[in-house]
Amino acid sequence: MNRKGVAVLAALALVVALAACDDGRDPLTIYSGRDEALIGPLLEQFADANDVDIDVRYGETADLALLLAEEGENTPADVFLSQSPGAVGFLANEGLLGRLSADELSAVDARFESDDGRWIGLSARQRVLVYNEELVDEADLPESVLDLTDETYSGDVALAPTNGSFQDFVSAMRQIEGEDVAAQWLSDMQANGSPTYADNSSIVDAVARGEVPMGLVNHYYNFRKLEEDPDAPSRNYVFPNGDVGSLLIASTASVLASTDKQDDAGMFIDFLLSDDAQQFYSDETFEYPLAEGVEPSADLPPLESLETPDIDLNDLGSLQETARLIEESGLL
Amino acid sequence: MSATTGDDGIVTQTSAESAPAPGPGRDRRRGSGLVIFVLAVAVLFAAPFLHLAVRSLEQAGTFVDEMTSTNALGSLGRSITLAAAVSVAAATIGVSAAWLVTRTDIPGRAIWRALLPVPLVIPSYIGAFVMIAAFAQGGALATMLSAFGVGQVSGFRGFFGSFVVLTLFTYPYVYLPVQARFRQLPSSLEESARLLGARPLGTFWSIALPQARGAIVAGGLLVFLYTVSDFGVVQLMRYDTLTRVIYSTRLIDSLTSVRLSLMLGILAIAVVVAERGFARRGRMRDPKREARPLQYRLGRWRPAATLSLAGIVGLALITPVAVCVWWAFRGVVRGDTPASEFFTSAADLVRPALNTSVAAVAAALTAVVLVAPVAYLAVRRPGRVGATASAIVLGGFALPGLSIALSLVYFTLSGASWIGGIYQTLPLLVLAYVIHFGAQAMNVAAVAVGSVPVRVEDAARTLGVSATQRLWRIELPLMLPGLMSGAGLVLMSAMKELPATLLLAPIGFETLSVKIWTGTESARFADASLACLALILTSGVLTWLLVIRRSDTLI
Repeated sequence: MNRKGVAVLAALALVVALAACDDGRDPLTIYSGRDEALIGPLLEQFADANDVDIDVRYGETADLALLLAEEGENTPADVFLSQSPGAVGFLANEGLLGRLSADELSAVDARFESDDGRWIGLSARQRVLVYNEELVDEADLPESVLDLTDETYSGDVALAPTNGSFQDFVSAMRQIEGEDVAAQWLSDMQANGSPTYADNSSIVDAVARGEVPMGLVNHYYNFRKLEEDPDAPSRNYVFPNGDVGSLLIASTASVLASTDKQDDAGMFIDFLLSDDAQQFYSDETFEYPLAEGVEPSADLPPLESLETPDIDLNDLGSLQETARLIEESGLL
Repeated sequence: MSATTGDDGIVTQTSAESAPAPGPGRDRRRGSGLVIFVLAVAVLFAAPFLHLAVRSLEQAGTFVDEMTSTNALGSLGRSITLAAAVSVAAATIGVSAAWLVTRTDIPGRAIWRALLPVPLVIPSYIGAFVMIAAFAQGGALATMLSAFGVGQVSGFRGFFGSFVVLTLFTYPYVYLPVQARFRQLPSSLEESARLLGARPLGTFWSIALPQARGAIVAGGLLVFLYTVSDFGVVQLMRYDTLTRVIYSTRLIDSLTSVRLSLMLGILAIAVVVAERGFARRGRMRDPKREARPLQYRLGRWRPAATLSLAGIVGLALITPVAVCVWWAFRGVVRGDTPASEFFTSAADLVRPALNTSVAAVAAALTAVVLVAPVAYLAVRRPGRVGATASAIVLGGFALPGLSIALSLVYFTLSGASWIGGIYQTLPLLVLAYVIHFGAQAMNVAAVAVGSVPVRVEDAARTLGVSATQRLWRIELPLMLPGLMSGAGLVLMSAMKELPATLLLAPIGFETLSVKIWTGTESARFADASLACLALILTSGVLTWLLVIRRSDTLI
């Protein structure tokens, strides 16, 4: 290598060496499956207000759950924030999660926490039908997600069968409407020529472009899409009357059983359930705040008006069964 | 390369070689030292395979059934079909482009040479994302094209979409080694053929192509391994390959996921072994730079040839860059990202760019130091150790980044406490990159080792130069450009790596690929585009500084 090359390398090495020096305090370590743009500011607020150092590892919820399982008791993590109850169920099965305090659990409606106190819901997003208003008249949309198998919607409804939220929705349908209805719905959707996409963002994008007239997604993707591109013709439609198609899915917080910072972790969970933090969810991420007493964004129907059934989304066996049904339907 | 010679053969060969050298025992010592080093490297690279194998055999009773189920075999078949098709197409594009820029009077050769390798730095998930945005129904380019009466590019998904995108972003794996080979090859044979009346195309088929076979197969193999391990493109294009199943079952059915990952690794090793039989990389007889390399006049084919290169660069480089620039621009003008915030977010990328550079450069250099001896042993002293070690190193390229990361987590945390000390530090991340991408340096290094002419070494030996001196003063300088271009490939891959980076990087160590991911995750495309442009720029500058500028022979 020539001299300039060496100089470049030396400069880079120096920068990293300097960066590696920290003040040596032992911080509260958070693994977050929720993305930084969504939750970063909130975490900073906590650190500043309580003079607690925090370390955050961001990643995909499933990958972080696998990482925690591989790390076992040696994990540096104290708190795990998950996109959905499913991944938390996986960790609870492995015995890696501690029990939350009764005070914390009482802050949230029981349908948004685990029966044995291993996780608690912080915010919720809703399953909706996103549609292109240039291609579809809202009046023509059905009362229930179950009606999307009608041939009127042939080839029109985009699905993301590998997406965790879609799978949660199918699990809910199995529990509420029964195994047979869910299996039939999946195979009818497949027979109806429903195109499949990688994830929620891809569906919202495709709907906005007019590639497909509608698709099943979580509600806030379109809020973000419109923030980025205010002219996009994509709109959210909520199935009325507590239809299973408008299921609420909680994002959750858990404390690792192996933590030695029980106090800081508890303080952190309390903070996430505080009015300020819950208001942040409502204002900045367009999600439903789950702690009682905080109102959602004015653009959303109030939480109480949504009849979301009490169902169990964190049973791993149930998740595997859902995955099997989706695979058998040929949608994958 | 024959795998029949045993370890004994190696020792015999070294001692025979060292006969005229001053210190009789030295070559033998270097020989066994080399074998021990290579064995150690092989063990290191085998770690993820071991981890997967152990995990796969939990509930061993169902192992065979699951591996041979129709679902698994179907996905495997689709992975192989896609990878084979992409390899052939990438090889065709890579070889044609290499031939055009080295052997013809195509206009703007310096520009093509600078631009043709760059698509390799674009992460393929970004490539797919951008191509969908541009070409799928209602996309920017599709709308433009329809104004000219071109119908919708429908069906840009599934096999076809994956095939196009992967080909466009992997052809440089073939282009880079082949153009280097063409530039190094004596054109005297082609010259003679031409004097004897052969047409340009005829000499290309009968002379240039066979001479570049080793380089073509080596590059094609990398394309194959890259394609079977790719997840981003097939997921966005909805083509159901093995990686897609591995990904979608990783949490809810981790046993299946782990077993299919192992299957991917076994497939990779099988392909590597098959390739061995196919491409015998002999030593080159007489490599030298021509004072005035042979050039064909393209004549009336000039416009067509120029257009096809422009087409490739247009699709694989200009389109993604243009879409990224447009998204960044749109973020400033139309969304609610004000101009001031735009510059803040651009400034926020300096630190991640530095982090990315440091980790990737460290990985590139470490990879070369570790795998060059493997390549050296495999080429110079063919035998079981070299063959096995190089197959393991190459196989690592096909494993999912997630598997490599988790295996390193397992081995560092369950090992001695001093090993545990490197957990969640930069060295462990660098090690993950090395294991994942060392294959790229390995393949190129093998060509570099083979390119040191026998007669140079013979001459040195006759003059009584010791083996160590021969290595340091003669062979290494001759191999250096080749080794550095191998480092360049590792560098570009490490810069865009995501899954292992997310899990293994020290907390707070943000890289550009993490920034891109953060942006796309939250549908903030302006931020993601800026980070992507920064990645292309950083990667381009680093590769140019460290590799291209100083080794215009590139191998």
